[in-house]
Amino acid sequence: MLQSYLPALVFLVLGGAIGGAFTLLNGVLGPRRPNPVKNEPYECGLPSEVKRSFRFGISFYLIAMLFILFDIEVIFLYPIAVQLKAFGVFALVETLVFIFLLLVAFVFVWRRGALEWK
Amino acid sequence: MNVVWFLCLSAVLFCIGGAGVLIRRNPLVVLLCLELMLNAGNLALVAFSRMHGNGDGQIFALVVMVVAACEVVVGLGVIVGMYRNRIAEDVDAMSELRG
Amino acid sequence: MILPLADVPAPHIDYKGLSPLIALVGGTVLVLMAALLRGRFVQRSLLPLLTLGTLGAAMGLSIWVWSPGDHRPIVESALEVDALALSLSLVFYVAGIATVLLAHRSAALSDAGAGEYYTLLLSSVTGMVLLAEAANLITLFVGIELLSIPLYVLCASQVRRRASLEAGLKYLVIGSVGSATLLYGLALIYGAAGTTSFAGIDRALGDTVSLSDPLLLTGIALACAGLAFKASVAPFHQWTPDVYQGAPTPVTAFMAVATKAAAFAIFLRLFDSALLSAQFQWAPALAALATITIVVGNVGAIAQDSLKRMLAWSGVAQAGYILAGVVVGTQKGLEATVFYLLVYLLMNVAAFAVVIARERVSEWGDGMRALEGLGRAAPWLAWPMTIAMLALAGFPATAGFIGKFYLIDAAVDGDYAWLGVVIVAGSMISLVYYLRVVAVMWMGPMEVRLPSLPGRPRTAKPVGGWSPEADAWAQPEVTLVAVACAAATMFFGIWPNPLFDLVADVGTSLASLVG
Repeated sequence: MLQSYLPALVFLVLGGAIGGAFTLLNGVLGPRRPNPVKNEPYECGLPSEVKRSFRFGISFYLIAMLFILFDIEVIFLYPIAVQLKAFGVFALVETLVFIFLLLVAFVFVWRRGALEWK
Repeated sequence: MNVVWFLCLSAVLFCIGGAGVLIRRNPLVVLLCLELMLNAGNLALVAFSRMHGNGDGQIFALVVMVVAACEVVVGLGVIVGMYRNRIAEDVDAMSELRG
Repeated sequence: MILPLADVPAPHIDYKGLSPLIALVGGTVLVLMAALLRGRFVQRSLLPLLTLGTLGAAMGLSIWVWSPGDHRPIVESALEVDALALSLSLVFYVAGIATVLLAHRSAALSDAGAGEYYTLLLSSVTGMVLLAEAANLITLFVGIELLSIPLYVLCASQVRRRASLEAGLKYLVIGSVGSATLLYGLALIYGAAGTTSFAGIDRALGDTVSLSDPLLLTGIALACAGLAFKASVAPFHQWTPDVYQGAPTPVTAFMAVATKAAAFAIFLRLFDSALLSAQFQWAPALAALATITIVVGNVGAIAQDSLKRMLAWSGVAQAGYILAGVVVGTQKGLEATVFYLLVYLLMNVAAFAVVIARERVSEWGDGMRALEGLGRAAPWLAWPMTIAMLALAGFPATAGFIGKFYLIDAAVDGDYAWLGVVIVAGSMISLVYYLRVVAVMWMGPMEVRLPSLPGRPRTAKPVGGWSPEADAWAQPEVTLVAVACAAATMFFGIWPNPLFDLVADVGTSLASLVG
């Protein structure tokens, strides 16, 4: 039973050895001339300093987030809408329960004032 | 088309997403990469669903889409909370908790 | 391609079996709507009472549904109500009730809003119950997300404290990586087996699907890694100490016991029923993970000064012990795992309750020094903590001893004797940090300080008039939880028969393990 793990072990050892060997070789052979710019973490295509003064509207984010949530829930209505005839009354009742739960969430969001633009 | 190609694409997407979560520093980009990982799973599900000719995988994919949206909304909510407290520009700087 | 869906009959739904879940969802909706009402009475008393009522009702219904040896697939076998699901549901309900009591004076409650807090707690419990009952891959995923997403928010619910937000975001990112890994694994398992139902996978394995199918094996490995994130099994445990420390302590207590129980519920269902035929493939890997987890958790806990971090590392180690019960894949292993999860609930909640009580009044917060001299100052808190620590370490006459003994017995019985030895060795290392807590409480110098409770500025009383005991009773619900859980730990340590009877029912619930 443990034999089946042999390839995985070989893979791990080889991976570790090759990776380690290259890092080691690089460290031993490569020249080392550090300067502050070089020592900064580097992300391809992005300024390495993340902007500190980033402005955004919190109401905008709030509305956008709520939109995503309510919008994506509609996904569940499509399959049922396509096959409603085949599913019959049961699916209709289930869908109504689902919409009721969405309504509860909507009422909560509305009464909490999350839909008002401040 | 062969299902293998879909699988290869989804595996590549999954790895790109995983690498992004590990190396990106902007929390918003980290969230994007999480979406990429989940959607890689979705692609695999839909491909398998077609291969087997049953609908289970497609239903699964629908559910995953909704879950992914919920996750990203919660993530955005936390990030907005952090911006309000002026602490979330850089995930590397989050080191209040360590030891 | 249009799928052949014509004339699908309405699925058979067993409303009796579904009733605990319906009660939970109904209660969640009720609490959410009640949260819109203003007024101190609603926010301070009605909402917690509604939450407790919902959890109590769900618990009552679960006991009502209980019938030993019965497998009840409900909703077109998307869910399975059996003794395993119901017994672990009890863990979730008790943990939920304890969390409501512990959070009663918590700052997170006023920061996030009481209604939101309780709604999230109830949805998380719903997700856990769903997960414990899951009988196909889709319900598994829905359950795990329904339990995790509210928890991410709960971790970040103390919105004015940096550490809480940071914990929330860390948990979200790492938890989502875990979910995505799990999802990819599930997709591959579905690809290999061609079905999402656990029973179908069990039938397909070794029949139409070869056990060395690379798709299946990769899928199992990824799913295992994803679940290991949730159960904080090493090497996927690194988030645990940070998140446990940063989250509001009642939420930490809830995560520590309920999330762990839920994660192991699905470990049991997925590995010991759907994938049991492939046991020779996954068992050695899981056994290795269990060993690493026990070593890493116990070594990590030794150097901690924060009690919450210490309990987090100890939780990692305990996850390793519990995993041993899954590895063996026998009826006894199943019984031992559930037994340990039940006991683990009691001892851990007792410990966290004491940490909460001290954290609110001590200037050391959750540091080890907050417990100094507690033995003389507040025996009502010191005794529960002592019992909890001894039980976690596995001292005889506590329920922890019996639980550990049961696990070791199951490991030896299932030809994993060496894993039993690892558990014993791990427990010996764990004595170092568990006994340190006991020593600090009973041997440290007595400290009399003027503490203050959050939300009620203390008028400076003369030191002579302040009694530590009165202070312990200033938050009676926390002390009550601590004392009740510690008493139950002792009770089941001396007379474990009720729990034995319960897990004997559970043992018959996975058809693949019986006979």
